[in-house]
Amino acid sequence: MHLTPDQLVDIADGTQPESSAPHLAECAACRQQLIDLRAMMAAATDVDVPEPSPLFWAHLSSRVAEAVSAEPARTGWNWWLRVATPFALATAAALAIAFVATTRLIAPHTTESPSGVTFVAERPPLPSETLAPEVTDPSLLMMADLVGNIDFDSAREAGLASRGSAEHAVTHMTEGELQQLHDLLQHELNKSSD
Amino acid sequence: MASSLAWSLPAAWPLISMTETDSRPLTRLDDAALVEECLAGTAGAFDLLVERYRRPVYQICYRFVGNHEDASDLSQEVFLRAYRGLKNFRGQAALSTWMYRIGVNVCLNRVSAKKPLDNTTNEPVEAYDVEDVRSDSPAERLLREERSARVRAAIAQLPDKQRATLILRTYHEMSHQEIADVLGSSVGAVKANFFHALANLKKILDASHT
Repeated sequence: MHLTPDQLVDIADGTQPESSAPHLAECAACRQQLIDLRAMMAAATDVDVPEPSPLFWAHLSSRVAEAVSAEPARTGWNWWLRVATPFALATAAALAIAFVATTRLIAPHTTESPSGVTFVAERPPLPSETLAPEVTDPSLLMMADLVGNIDFDSAREAGLASRGSAEHAVTHMTEGELQQLHDLLQHELNKSSD
Repeated sequence: MASSLAWSLPAAWPLISMTETDSRPLTRLDDAALVEECLAGTAGAFDLLVERYRRPVYQICYRFVGNHEDASDLSQEVFLRAYRGLKNFRGQAALSTWMYRIGVNVCLNRVSAKKPLDNTTNEPVEAYDVEDVRSDSPAERLLREERSARVRAAIAQLPDKQRATLILRTYHEMSHQEIADVLGSSVGAVKANFFHALANLKKILDASHT
C-alpha cells in the first residue's frame, strides 16, 4: 500500500518523521515521490521576492491613505442618516415657514360671497402670542413677524404670488375652496393654540 | 479631519497616536485592539495596520503576479478592501489570516484575468536544489536568477488553489490549518493541493526542459 498524498506531504515538510512510514524503506516509488516533492519544495523556496526600495513602503502607505481618504464614511446605515438629516430638517423648517406664512397671508382677508354671506377669517394674534408653544426657533419667529401683516396685494407686488405659486393659487380660489381652506386653517390654528 | 491629518504625516514620523479609550500608544496594541480603534475612528489606527502588514501583503502579491508594479497596485487594493470590510471582521480568525484571505482573493481575481507568464528556459529539474548563495559569483547569480524566473513562471501556471496553497505554505510558512482558514477549505484539501502543486510544478519544469 503506497503512501497517500497526505502522508507524503507530512513527511516532505517535516510534520511527520520518515520513521512514521515504514513503507518507505521497501518502496522505491514512494521514496522517489518523496525526493521529487522535496526537490520541488526546495526549488520553490529558492525563489526570492526582490526587496523594493526602502522608500517604497512609505509610498505604499501614502497611496493606501489617499485611497482610504477618498472612500465614503465607513459605517453602514448611519452615513445615510448623516446625509439625510440636514435635508429632513431643512424640509421641515421650510414647511413650517410656509405654513406660518400662509396663515398670516390668508387670515386677515375678508371676502364677501355673491350670496351675501360674508365670512371673515379671524385675524390671528401676533406671532409671539399665537405660535405653538414648542415653536421657539428665533428664525421662525422672525419670519412670522415679517409676513404677519402682509396682504395679498403686497405679496403679489413682492413677487410672492406669481402664477404657479402657492400664493397665486390661494388668491385665485373659488369661494367654496376658500371656505374649505378657512376651515382647515382655523382647525390648525386651534390645534396649535391648544 | 484628524484622520486626514494623520494620513498626511510622513511615514518616518513617530506614530504617537493614543487610543480612544485610554492613553496607551497605538503601537502597543495587538491586532484585535487596533481593529477596534480603527472602528472607533481613532486617527492613525489604520495607518498602523498598514504598516504592520504592508510587507507580507506586498510579498504575497508579488508571488502571484511576479512584478513590482502589479504587486504594488494589488497591495493597495488589498488594504482598501480591508478598510472597507473592517467592520465585518469579527475577530474569529487572526487578523493576519483575514488579511491573507483578502490578499489571495484579490490576487486570484487579478491573475485569472491575465495570461500566465511564459519565460521558461531549459534546465534539468535536478538543478533546483537549495544552494548557499553567499559566495555567488556574478555568473552564478545570473544563473540563479534565471532559474528563479523559470520556477516563478511555472508556479504561475498552476491552478489557482494549488498556487495559493504553495505560496502560503512555502513563502509564508503557514500551517495547513491556517491555509485552510484562508482558502476556506479543509486541511485534507490543503494537503492534497500542496501535493498536486509540487507534482505539477515538476511536470511543468520537466516539460520546459524537454
